[in-house]
Amino acid sequence: MSVMERARTRTTEEKNSAGRERPPRPRSRAGATPYLFLAPGFALFLLLIAYPMVKAFQMSLYDWNIVAGATSRYIGLDNYRRAFHDPLFWRGLQNSGLYMALTVPPQIVLGLGVAILLNNKAPGRAVYRVLFYLPVVTSWVVVSLLFQYLFADSGLVNWVLHDVTHVTGHDTSWLSGRWTGMVAISALGIWKGVGWSMMIFLAALQSVSKDLLEAAALDGAGRWSTFRVVTLQAIRPALLFVIVMLVIGGFNVFVSVLLMTGGGPSDSTQVLLTYMYKQAFTNLDFGYGASIAVMLTVGVFVLSIIQLRAFRSDEELA
Amino acid sequence: MARRTPILLACTAVAALALTGCGSSSDDSAGGGSSAKKVTLTFWGTYGNGGNSAQTDALEKTVIPAFEKANPGITIKYVDMPYDSLLQKLTTGAAAGQLPDLVRADIGWVPKFGALKVFAPLDQEMSGFQKLADDTYPGSLATNRFGDHYYGLPLDTNTRVMISNPDALKKAGIAQPPATFSDLKADAPKLAAHKISVYADSGLQGWNVYPWIWSAGGSVTNPDQTKATGYLNSPQSVAGVQMLVNLYKQGAIPNLIIGNKGAVQTSDGLPKATYATILDGPWMADIWKGQYADFKPVYSPVPAGPGGSVSVVGGEDIAMTTASKDHAAAEKFIAFTQTADYQIAMAKTGQMSVVKSLDPQESAAVPAFAPFIKQLATAKPRPSVPQAPAIDTALQDELTKAFEGKESVQDALDKAAAAIDPLLTQAD
Repeated sequence: MSVMERARTRTTEEKNSAGRERPPRPRSRAGATPYLFLAPGFALFLLLIAYPMVKAFQMSLYDWNIVAGATSRYIGLDNYRRAFHDPLFWRGLQNSGLYMALTVPPQIVLGLGVAILLNNKAPGRAVYRVLFYLPVVTSWVVVSLLFQYLFADSGLVNWVLHDVTHVTGHDTSWLSGRWTGMVAISALGIWKGVGWSMMIFLAALQSVSKDLLEAAALDGAGRWSTFRVVTLQAIRPALLFVIVMLVIGGFNVFVSVLLMTGGGPSDSTQVLLTYMYKQAFTNLDFGYGASIAVMLTVGVFVLSIIQLRAFRSDEELA
Repeated sequence: MARRTPILLACTAVAALALTGCGSSSDDSAGGGSSAKKVTLTFWGTYGNGGNSAQTDALEKTVIPAFEKANPGITIKYVDMPYDSLLQKLTTGAAAGQLPDLVRADIGWVPKFGALKVFAPLDQEMSGFQKLADDTYPGSLATNRFGDHYYGLPLDTNTRVMISNPDALKKAGIAQPPATFSDLKADAPKLAAHKISVYADSGLQGWNVYPWIWSAGGSVTNPDQTKATGYLNSPQSVAGVQMLVNLYKQGAIPNLIIGNKGAVQTSDGLPKATYATILDGPWMADIWKGQYADFKPVYSPVPAGPGGSVSVVGGEDIAMTTASKDHAAAEKFIAFTQTADYQIAMAKTGQMSVVKSLDPQESAAVPAFAPFIKQLATAKPRPSVPQAPAIDTALQDELTKAFEGKESVQDALDKAAAAIDPLLTQAD
């Protein structure tokens, strides 16, 4: 987190020095060395990220024909227009947004809660950390299939809710409806994601100044006030980072939906990425699939910028 | 010296990266280059679909070794994949130039890949093609044809018959599997009283619904396969689907049929007596043999409607890709698939033979095929056109809405037919 703090102090310094001319940076005598260090990473970035992105954008402007030797027809923005009038595209966007809304707040609240608990010296702390973090490093495919079993019509969830506790009057067909399906998919997202936000918060909590905590205690602040005024302020950068990353992750949900419901029945649980996948790899409409991917990328990028801005501005107000 | 090290390191890293980035991918089908010509042929198929180890075992432990023994220098590398993935992998593989030498393709896919020039025209390339072709069932052979050429040879055939769980029927006091539409409708409430679904299926594509449409006296296209409107949405076709929708609305058919991934699969639901009847193929016996040793399924014809008892022809063809580097070796394997060593060994695992002359041998080896052979006598093929996969998607999309009650069956089939009409005449 110190990196983030340094970054913040630097921005304030820059703000303070605004208007004054900054001294010119001394020309580095290192010559090509830094660039050579950058080269491997940059080459990877160009090869594996930049090139496919440009290619996808190019594809989105064509009625792209995948078969070798076939010609593709340039159709300009037709694919984007088509998405605009495609109810399934909008449903995918809604479902992606719904998934984000259902998974981001619980991951932050639960992640922070668990992190605070594990921040105290307690026996077996390391074991619990590992246990909470375990879902994060397990394969998406494995846990998606596992949750498909749990939420199956005759699965464990129905057994607990209906047969054992009688919370529900009958077995719920979780994966056959839009809302219940999204709940099941979100449950997996939360369970798998809590460990990750916990880790980030845990690291942030360890950098909370002990002096401030003691001072707050001396001033007679209660637990809640101390948390609000001292702890929460100290972990703000981490909180921002977690929120931005989770929102991006939420919009990029794919594997769990593909495996648990396949976007079905009749496209009711389709999210943006599964719809993109269906268009590209089932209907072989790569141009249309690419246009959905491009729009998702732009959307997430803009959303992230807005979040960073919003956070920074109310920090300045504070 | 110390200042140089980072530069050296960085250079090395860049060089290493360049090498890995542009390294050649290993080529499986390249010749060994030694004096004795060694060839490895890659063979893609879906024998293991649904966890069917009986078929992949027979192929990898019996059939392929027999071929390799008879043809020293040729190695067959079989790659198994799920049914739907094979269609995808073939398409994307064609684009990327990453194709196997041999493919066991669903009979519905051969025209498509023939049109795309992914499969080689065997009638032009393969010596002895005509003789082999003449010895297969004409109906199976026809699925390999696109335009004036044949892009594969029949490999196996099958059809769906009614498979029922006698214990489930007995619980509801039913002695015989439903033999007619009326039986099915009459049995539904009796079984529902015991929380048993009268019938279950796992989709709404042609393979799933054509038997009901044809048995109801309906049809899918005109005889030329150029028009679906007026056939797929005829009153008889609508009546066949309407019966299923009515049963679904009564709760007598589970929502597995509309793609609920949380529902019990037919392969589990039937032996567990959750479902009383299903329609399926001859390979199921082997799947149950392992998991449900006590289950004694009963095989009977598809329930008869006004159009009789008409099922759907399934099966696979063997094709050679145009990308194959060694056509001579690939043709040897294709010829081998038409022999008793291949056909009878695979028949024992539920893949019915397509070679006419092997009929007596097959009936003796696998008496369980009797109900399927009987059903095949009246079974019909799905439209054999390049756009066959797209036809299935259109049908499934519209029919799902009808089952969910969002559309009437008539509207759904009207729309499906309108979507399918242009697909029937589209070349590729």
